[in-house]
Amino acid sequence: MPTSPLILDDAESAARSGMLSRVASLIYWTARQLERAENTVRLVDVNAQLVLDLEARRDADDPRAWEPLVFVTGDDEGFHKIHGDNISEETVVRYLLFDRENPSSYVSCIAAARENARCIQDQIASEMWETLNTFYHELSTHSFRTYQKQGSSDYLAQLKLRIQQLYGVAESMLPRDEGWWFYLLGRYLERADNVSRIIDIKYFMILPDLHEVGSALDIVQWASVLRSCSGFEAFRRSKRGQLNLERAVDYLLYDRAFPRSILASIISAENCLNKIAAAHGDAEQNPVLAKINQTRVHLENSDVTSVISNGLHEYLDAFQIRLGEIHAAVQDNFFDYDV
Amino acid sequence: MSDLFANYDTGPFYDEMFTDAGEPRPHYQNLFDRYARLNGMGELAQRQKTADKTFKRRGVTFTVYSDKAGTEKIFPFDLIPRIIAADEWRHLVRGLTQRMIALDQFLYDIYHDQHIVKEGIVPRELVESCAHFRRELVGVNLPLNRHVHINGTDLVRDQHGTYRVLEDNLRTPSGVSYVLENRQVMKRVFPNLLRKYGVRPVSNYPSDLLNLLTSLAPDIEEPTVVLLTPGVYNSAYFEHAFLARQMGIDIVEGNDLVVQDDKVYMKRTHGLKRVHVIYRRIDDDFLDPTVFRKDSLLGVPGLFEAYRKGNVALTNPIGTGISDDKAIYYYVPDMIRFYLQEDPVLPNVDTFLTSDSKDRAYVLENLPDLVVKSVNEAGGYGMLVGPKSTREQIEEFRAKIIAHPRNFIAQPTLGLSRCPTVCNNGKAIEGRHLDLRPYILYGDKVRIMSGGLTRVALTKGSLVVNSSQGGGSKDTWVLADTEAETPPTTETGRERIAI
Repeated sequence: MPTSPLILDDAESAARSGMLSRVASLIYWTARQLERAENTVRLVDVNAQLVLDLEARRDADDPRAWEPLVFVTGDDEGFHKIHGDNISEETVVRYLLFDRENPSSYVSCIAAARENARCIQDQIASEMWETLNTFYHELSTHSFRTYQKQGSSDYLAQLKLRIQQLYGVAESMLPRDEGWWFYLLGRYLERADNVSRIIDIKYFMILPDLHEVGSALDIVQWASVLRSCSGFEAFRRSKRGQLNLERAVDYLLYDRAFPRSILASIISAENCLNKIAAAHGDAEQNPVLAKINQTRVHLENSDVTSVISNGLHEYLDAFQIRLGEIHAAVQDNFFDYDV
Repeated sequence: MSDLFANYDTGPFYDEMFTDAGEPRPHYQNLFDRYARLNGMGELAQRQKTADKTFKRRGVTFTVYSDKAGTEKIFPFDLIPRIIAADEWRHLVRGLTQRMIALDQFLYDIYHDQHIVKEGIVPRELVESCAHFRRELVGVNLPLNRHVHINGTDLVRDQHGTYRVLEDNLRTPSGVSYVLENRQVMKRVFPNLLRKYGVRPVSNYPSDLLNLLTSLAPDIEEPTVVLLTPGVYNSAYFEHAFLARQMGIDIVEGNDLVVQDDKVYMKRTHGLKRVHVIYRRIDDDFLDPTVFRKDSLLGVPGLFEAYRKGNVALTNPIGTGISDDKAIYYYVPDMIRFYLQEDPVLPNVDTFLTSDSKDRAYVLENLPDLVVKSVNEAGGYGMLVGPKSTREQIEEFRAKIIAHPRNFIAQPTLGLSRCPTVCNNGKAIEGRHLDLRPYILYGDKVRIMSGGLTRVALTKGSLVVNSSQGGGSKDTWVLADTEAETPPTTETGRERIAI
């Protein structure tokens, strides 16, 4: 009987070479989509509350009360394509939470995360997949009417909680292998991006009322920005004293202890990349690591006073471009390299 | 006494649960008693709801291509299990083992010396005109010399309760994940009943499958095994992900694999990693665009050459599709006699070959009474059910048969057995036709999962059980043997007969 001709050339198979590129990419994107969904809810939530605070001065349906949310997504064109010039609580909330044509809406993010998770069911724990799948089916039945009927604050709290629940399942179920580091990397890069946009929202809010810097309204607005990052109470506890523009921006950009600050997010992302590169033994010359390292150093060397006097918006814009480059480097080095 | 079954009518068919006299068969008695204690159809409907919800939450779905609205559907699940008594199962195991060994020997023979053709048992032109015959593989030796590793054989029972083989599925039989999921759900809905019955477990299938896969790279200590899927939009994607997860292997798409120097690698975050065994859930045609279909985006360029050189093992091997050809199926009982010198334990369904002139004349004369099947289609597509067809449809098939006699077979319409099934949205229990697909693995020896996928035609009177045609499924219970296990009579060792 002929013997099997299967060749046993196998030194290289023993070598560890990380996880499947496509899977790593899907895990990374799942984390980004969940983080984005969470931030979108935070944004809507804070604005909804802010509008209540402002009721004496502005009508809750005043388009100007909701317009900044459209800008902050970076996609006002997309908004106008669907809703024209009709800016109101309803159109903005629909756009940010329920419009499937908006790829960054809450429901789109959850749908995309769920579709990704479906592709990698074999890699993530089945409990995580089931939790996400169940939530997706539930969410599919929601609309602006659900938001209205349940009351914005109750409803949004529920949406936030569902994401936190997913984080919890992931935290306790995902093995701490490379997939875990890609998962966290996606989360922190997305968070840094989102927080930079949230800070930017204040720039848009402040434009029509420049003269009000330092006013009562200004303070209320900064408090709301902090709240949207769940940073208000933490800010107070950090003993930074009276809330003002400079202290709020400094906290959100550079606080090392606050987990949603931009610097903290970048440090965490850098840590993930370190783990990923170390597994392959090329931490020294890994180009992605070099890039994020530069960005961290750049943040550490900035100071808030000059940032504000040179233009906060421009500073944040430049930061978002750096983030885009880091993302592209992740893509080129781990997911989509040439063979 | 429950009124659940009070109006149940077995009709002129063999009923899995009741005798013609309307008494529950002995192995169904426990179930009958348990259902009698249910609080009428209402409670059954409630439990059915729980079951359906569980499937949806777990994402146990299949994709319907034609349906634009909700492409992901759950495979309807019926709460009344199909129960197979221990002695019946012993008989099936004997028959399926024998059939699997004969099919493997046949495929080996066809790709080597072709004794069976030279002896005039299977016509040469029939083999060579098979759409799935791969000339490129003639003379190629495969790991363990095994030419088929996984078979999902479709069985039906006729009016007399005799099990017959309807067809073999040697390419990429699917459905096994539903068997495992159905059992999970059943455990949740009727835990005590299952325990009381002594139902044989099915959960060892993934480890048996993994053992089989790793054994295909016999000289490598820890071979890298992957499951190759066409992707998330394939109708069986749920199953692909399910099996990969159960076995702890990577699920890959064509784009994840590259061939260099006739070796297969997968693209990982830190570079390429060698792949030794591929459980492919893609048909031959789509495996390698440089050899088979040039327009395919699913496969891996160069894979065929790597395979031919023995650098990677595939399951099922390339070219097994010959035995899925329904004209070749006709000859399986002859193969069993030829290779094993045994009489077939499980008969085929009576079949007419339209490529044979005598058979063809009979078929053309009796089309309204026959089922005509296209030899290479699966999933209930491309068939004519004579008694349920219009004159136009019959004439259309007549023309097709005359034009391409090789492409069809015909079978008498069978009175498939039925089993009580929850119908009309939980309002009634009626008899519905069913079949059974056991899963047979052949590595070092033949292993058969205890049970298989029972598919049930949910539409009243329908004989078509395929999920793509509106079928559902039932949990299949094989009862544990109270007597000592008797090994199957067929020798599973690998002695090729010398002629």
